[in-house]
Amino acid sequence: MILRPARERVWRGRVKVQPMKQIVAVGDMKVGRDGDILVTHALGSCLGLVVYDPVAKVGGLLHAMLPLSRINLQKAESHPYMFVDRGVPLLFKAVYQMGGQKQRLIVKATGCGSPLGKNAMFKIGERNYKVLRKLLEKNNVALHAEDVGGTDSRTVHVDLSSGKTIIRIKEKRKEL
Amino acid sequence: MKRPSEEDIISRIDAFPNIPSAAAKILSLLDDPDTSAEQIGEILRYDPGLTANLLKLTNSSYFGLPSKVGSVNQALVLLGWKKLAQLILSACTTAVMAKPVPGYDLQPGELWRHSIAVSVVAEGLSRELGVTGVDEIFTAALLHDVGKLVLGDFIRDNTSSIDDESLREVSFEKVEQRLFGIDHAEIGARILSNWSFPETIITAVRWHHDPDAADPPNNLIDVVHIANVLCLMIGIGIGREGLQYTPSEAATRRLGLKGEQLEIVAAQAMGWVEELSESFSVHFEEEF
Ligand SMILES: [Fe+2]
Ligand SMILES: [Fe+2]
Repeated sequence: MILRPARERVWRGRVKVQPMKQIVAVGDMKVGRDGDILVTHALGSCLGLVVYDPVAKVGGLLHAMLPLSRINLQKAESHPYMFVDRGVPLLFKAVYQMGGQKQRLIVKATGCGSPLGKNAMFKIGERNYKVLRKLLEKNNVALHAEDVGGTDSRTVHVDLSSGKTIIRIKEKRKEL
Repeated sequence: MKRPSEEDIISRIDAFPNIPSAAAKILSLLDDPDTSAEQIGEILRYDPGLTANLLKLTNSSYFGLPSKVGSVNQALVLLGWKKLAQLILSACTTAVMAKPVPGYDLQPGELWRHSIAVSVVAEGLSRELGVTGVDEIFTAALLHDVGKLVLGDFIRDNTSSIDDESLREVSFEKVEQRLFGIDHAEIGARILSNWSFPETIITAVRWHHDPDAADPPNNLIDVVHIANVLCLMIGIGIGREGLQYTPSEAATRRLGLKGEQLEIVAAQAMGWVEELSESFSVHFEEEF
């Protein structure tokens, strides 16, 4: 390791390195590494899924809208992240590709809300969650934390230097 | 915190900006199937911005017209008067609907995006269901939440009452009624009534959260009701109240809507919104 002259170290210490903030749109997925921040807004019945490897410091965030891609095979090809059954495996694979290892991954789920009432047709959020659980089980992946269901609109903020995941509902922030 | 009286709110409805004059003139011609390109041109010629917006809207890939429309005359030939009138009304009201809506926590442009999303999803649902006789659906959907522009300020000043735990399972329009004696749907209906909109559109706006209460219920109201809930679910224009609304089971039965159809439309919604909104430069990004 090369020791830098003191002046430069001080100078470096003052520089605020701006983290790269990436916004994940509905039906999309983004991956990144140490220094990146992933954000997704307005999760209603959509699933927000965070996958993070704390050793490699790489991770990703998925914002999937519908449970099963068979509803529209054309969109399943053009917009695979729109669907839980297509997007979740692709998220894991993308994180592996960046150096993430399956046994180290921390997995957190949020979103999957539903409107009030008993109308089953509108429980898309619950179906999104069920499909996720099935996929994780089948692949022997544990879900480490979740904040799902209800009527709240959620914003998710993931810091890939630590994996720290913040959920914002109205003015309230909580760590997942 | 000061709870407003119903009179406070009604005075704000009456103080709401007037309908753009071009829209008022278009409304007066709405029922005349023989409206000519000259008449429309006469209305638009004093408002070049509106004409430009209209042509941008008409040329958006959402409508998929075979060639680029360069004049009002061409638009009339390609779309017919009924459809063109709806588009002129849409172009006229863009400026109003693009405003930020504090209280509901909608950033600038978010209500507009929600409004056009409900419009395209309502049209998509109508096609999927084979529902006819809903010519005004685009305009009704576009303006369904105009009442939020009035009620938003009152919501903002009463968030602690609104967020009360005991109200979490109460449909949000009922929360508004309890707190203010009126909800944003009724306020919207009164604004459009002041603007002399057709009764079908006013009724759809009035009952968009409670379609069973309409006397009698109809397809137009039911479709706007369902389209609205679906757009909130997929996060377009979802605000402070989140998904705190109750989709009507009776409405889905009246329409013969199946869960699969709802998902089929949902899968296409984003694409339609992008196609239609590409012609507008509405920017929204929320700070975290
Ligand atoms: Fe509404
Ligand atoms: Fe709405």
